[in-house]
Amino acid sequence: MLKVSKVNTFYDKAQALWDVSLNIDEAEIVALIGANGAGKTTLLNTISGLLRPASGSIEFMGQRIDGLPPHNIVDMGLSHIPEGRRLFTDMSVHENLEMGAYPSRAWKGRQETLERVYQSFPMLKERAGQLARTLSGGEQQMLAMGRGLMPKPKLCMFDEPSFGLAPMLVLEVFQVIQSLREQGITILLIEQNVRRTLEIADRAYVLENGRIVLEGSCKQLLQEDLVKKAYLGL
Amino acid sequence: METVLNVAVAGLLLGGIFALISVGLSLQYGVARVLNVAHGEFIMIGAFVTWVLYTEFGINPLLCMVIVGPAIFVIGFILYRTMFNYIRIKAPSPDAFEGNSILAAFGLLFVIQYIALTLWGSNIHGYTYLAFPIHLGTVTIAANRLVTLGFAVGISFVFYIFLARTRLGKAIRSAAQDPATASLMGVNIKRVLAICFGLGALMAGIAGVLLSMTYPVNANMGLHYTIIAIIVVVLGGMGSIVGSFIGGFILGIVGSIVSYFDPGLALVAYYAIFILLLLVRPKGIMGK
Repeated sequence: MLKVSKVNTFYDKAQALWDVSLNIDEAEIVALIGANGAGKTTLLNTISGLLRPASGSIEFMGQRIDGLPPHNIVDMGLSHIPEGRRLFTDMSVHENLEMGAYPSRAWKGRQETLERVYQSFPMLKERAGQLARTLSGGEQQMLAMGRGLMPKPKLCMFDEPSFGLAPMLVLEVFQVIQSLREQGITILLIEQNVRRTLEIADRAYVLENGRIVLEGSCKQLLQEDLVKKAYLGL
Repeated sequence: METVLNVAVAGLLLGGIFALISVGLSLQYGVARVLNVAHGEFIMIGAFVTWVLYTEFGINPLLCMVIVGPAIFVIGFILYRTMFNYIRIKAPSPDAFEGNSILAAFGLLFVIQYIALTLWGSNIHGYTYLAFPIHLGTVTIAANRLVTLGFAVGISFVFYIFLARTRLGKAIRSAAQDPATASLMGVNIKRVLAICFGLGALMAGIAGVLLSMTYPVNANMGLHYTIIAIIVVVLGGMGSIVGSFIGGFILGIVGSIVSYFDPGLALVAYYAIFILLLLVRPKGIMGK
């Protein structure tokens, strides 16, 4: 479904990704793990079009998307739920969700999608008229996830969705992600919580200093010394 | 009492125009990130074109709004898509873009002003339209001023509803808060920024049409209004449309009170407010 081949991305002259290749099949949960600064967010930003790769190709559903602007990529059904939630804090919860349905493909049916998102996150419905900035951290994360579902995505990329949340809420975030897969949505997940991530994901890639150093099924990776030492603290 | 009323009404009338031009600039600066020092030149174009259309072709100045508005929108849109967007892409950071775009807007100011000087000379022009008096109790107002106020408030209100309710309006607000995330939502940022700049220019153009009914028209008139608009935008709070609207009326009323004592001191009072504001509350009335 998503095929990243030999992508190199730079910030000015500093190279952040080196020949990164990655594959995601339909209805998979694929995790991307690595230390801070390893290039995980850069990779997501490159896929969603916020950054342009200097070389390499990115294909989504058989079409080249590298070099396309972000609004065209989300229009094709690839939703990026960015790091730090990035809500429109001066807009209401309802308006934030509406913005999620901005692509014309999703705009017409936004009312139905909205109802479904409200079903998954009943709290958002209660708070529909409130400004996004008045929500608690957990509520903001739910809103960010709900907003990411509004464009009716085929593939969702989550960048640290459980960051800074209380343990109970972390659990909820993981449950939501699993339920999305049951709805047929493919997922690319970046998470600090490596153990839990490897438990729900099918496969994972380990990124270090902008390079993929390991890949495989989560079962395999849980046995790898590198993963055990660096990410599971064993 | 009668003087107080007259001064207050004059302040409201002036404030309506100030509000309209400032809402336009606020949009250009708050969303498109261009502190458009050529804003007043679009006012001048609107005023001049109306003067020409009315005196040469007898076209009703109010009808001119429908002609001038869309035409200036297109000019503003194209200017952003070509010049300012080029500067935006080349700029290493948003701050650098703000600096460079001010310089480009200065260039624009001179280009437009000299084109106007070449076309229409440096003379002061004017015409009379709807200049009959209307008596409201003890206060007497020229009809054209009342019409001006009505349109200025009406257009600002329609614009506010557009931002609050429509899909494009929401896209503009989201782009003002976080352009990168807005683009992840599917907003075509290049297009939306250009639309904002075009809408700002449109409001300046329409303000020019309205101004020409009551004030003299001259190729050098623009800068005066640019300065007022910048003061109002700071007064209202950067990027706050509502703040600019309220700020416009505050400045209009202050201007009218000061002018009652000495018209020459109005601009001094505006600057005094500006300096005081920067010292006491730099974020403005509605600023965060």
